[in-house]
Amino acid sequence: MAEITGKKETKKPVIEIGDGPAIPRKTDVGLFTAWRFSFIGAIAIIAYLAISKPDPYLAILKFVPDGILVTFQVTIEAIILALVIGLFTGLGRISKNRIINGIASIYVEVIRGIPLLVQLFYIYFALGRVINLPAMVSAVIAMAVCYGAYMGEIFRAGIESIDKGQMEAARSLGMTSSQAMMHVILPQAFKTILPPIGNEFVALLKDSSLVSILAVSDLLRRGREFASESFTYFETYTMVALIYLIITLFLSKLVSIMEERISVD
Amino acid sequence: MSTDNKNTMVKLRNVYKYFGQLKALDNVSLDIYDGEKIVIIGPSGSGKSTLLRSINKLETIDAGQIIVDGFDICDQETNINKVREEIGMVFQSFNVFPHKTVLENISLAQTVVRKRSKKEASQISTELLKKVDILEKSNEYPGKLSGGQQQRVAIARALAMKPKLMLFDEPTSALDPEMIGEVLEVMITLAKEGMTMIVVTHEMGFAREVADRIIFMDFGAIVEEGTPEHFFKNPTRERTKIFLNQIL
Repeated sequence: MAEITGKKETKKPVIEIGDGPAIPRKTDVGLFTAWRFSFIGAIAIIAYLAISKPDPYLAILKFVPDGILVTFQVTIEAIILALVIGLFTGLGRISKNRIINGIASIYVEVIRGIPLLVQLFYIYFALGRVINLPAMVSAVIAMAVCYGAYMGEIFRAGIESIDKGQMEAARSLGMTSSQAMMHVILPQAFKTILPPIGNEFVALLKDSSLVSILAVSDLLRRGREFASESFTYFETYTMVALIYLIITLFLSKLVSIMEERISVD
Repeated sequence: MSTDNKNTMVKLRNVYKYFGQLKALDNVSLDIYDGEKIVIIGPSGSGKSTLLRSINKLETIDAGQIIVDGFDICDQETNINKVREEIGMVFQSFNVFPHKTVLENISLAQTVVRKRSKKEASQISTELLKKVDILEKSNEYPGKLSGGQQQRVAIARALAMKPKLMLFDEPTSALDPEMIGEVLEVMITLAKEGMTMIVVTHEMGFAREVADRIIFMDFGAIVEEGTPEHFFKNPTRERTKIFLNQIL
């Protein structure tokens, strides 16, 4: 998952590797054409297959859109919840209160050390013995709790990237630390963290395919349902892969446009 | 200077502050009276800024007592935010809010802290922008302003709280030479209006013109204090003489 470095004074070289598709920037000619090649290519292949061999490709295309909606639903609900968790985690991580700081830090350490798939199983099957949550709710909670930890680090880095003179100026005017955070620090930090949040969104969308294991009818699950009935595994998973690819490429393009807009002002 | 009939605005008693091994403030005691203009000078690292920042508790002291406007700011019971409302601070690096327009910069704390209405805050902001002669930039973002203009916005922002005391922490040190004058001018006007001011600066011309009292610090301690007359004509301490020779 994408990490951002927060402290301005760190001069160590940073290797930035996100696990979404690399974000195309206009300056990066090779990548830009690679993005275009993949995006247009994926659409062209889908169109070609659907037209030239409607059975099963067109049938697959008609069957899976319900799943795309579920994938987006899980992703959007999880990201919103993750943002809330992340904000409080980030604030907790910079808190001078040892208990709050401790809780936030332990949360981040623990969650980042457990694979998302195991967390999904844990919330649905293990906790399911105590409180029986619907699959969809379990899925959203597990994804949000997991991504909240990563978001927390993004928020922390974003807040720490703001010059400390800003906080001092706000506090000198008599603002409480939460007023200063709300009116001065977070609005500025938000600009810095918007692109990494966009990357997390893309990463979360891909990871949301894991929820198909909990019998949530997302894109992957719908594909599996179709394939197991028609025995067209190759055809179905090809289409599923291409659809995921188009969605993530499209979203990372949006992130890069957003990044450009922000850097303009 | 007869100070018997004046109220004490800031009172420091035996203040100590350490940064690790370094003694940043070494037994500093000082009284500053209503309406007084104090200029603090001294070599870098002498504790001038630390002293200033202790007065509004941006630095917490390790020993001693600081009383501002009657409040013991080291007392846990004291609401430091309330005390800070009455103390304006101007920084070397301006610290204007880059995501707010000039007008919003000045109005923000008025609405959030002083709970003034948006309209009232804007009115006050506009008047202050006139005063610091930057009204035409009201709707610009600070990024578009020169350093001198940003610092004048920062001064207006502090004044908008109607403070009883203004602290200036090397307000012209980060400025290009041609912009120093415009900022000093605003400060001189403010001084003439009777504002209580504590100014850390290397601008000796300003010190000579405005200061009621100059304080020379070195190694965290007050070495010498007196009127500009005393300072520039016959400083008594050897360290003061050496310092003044270096910078004049």
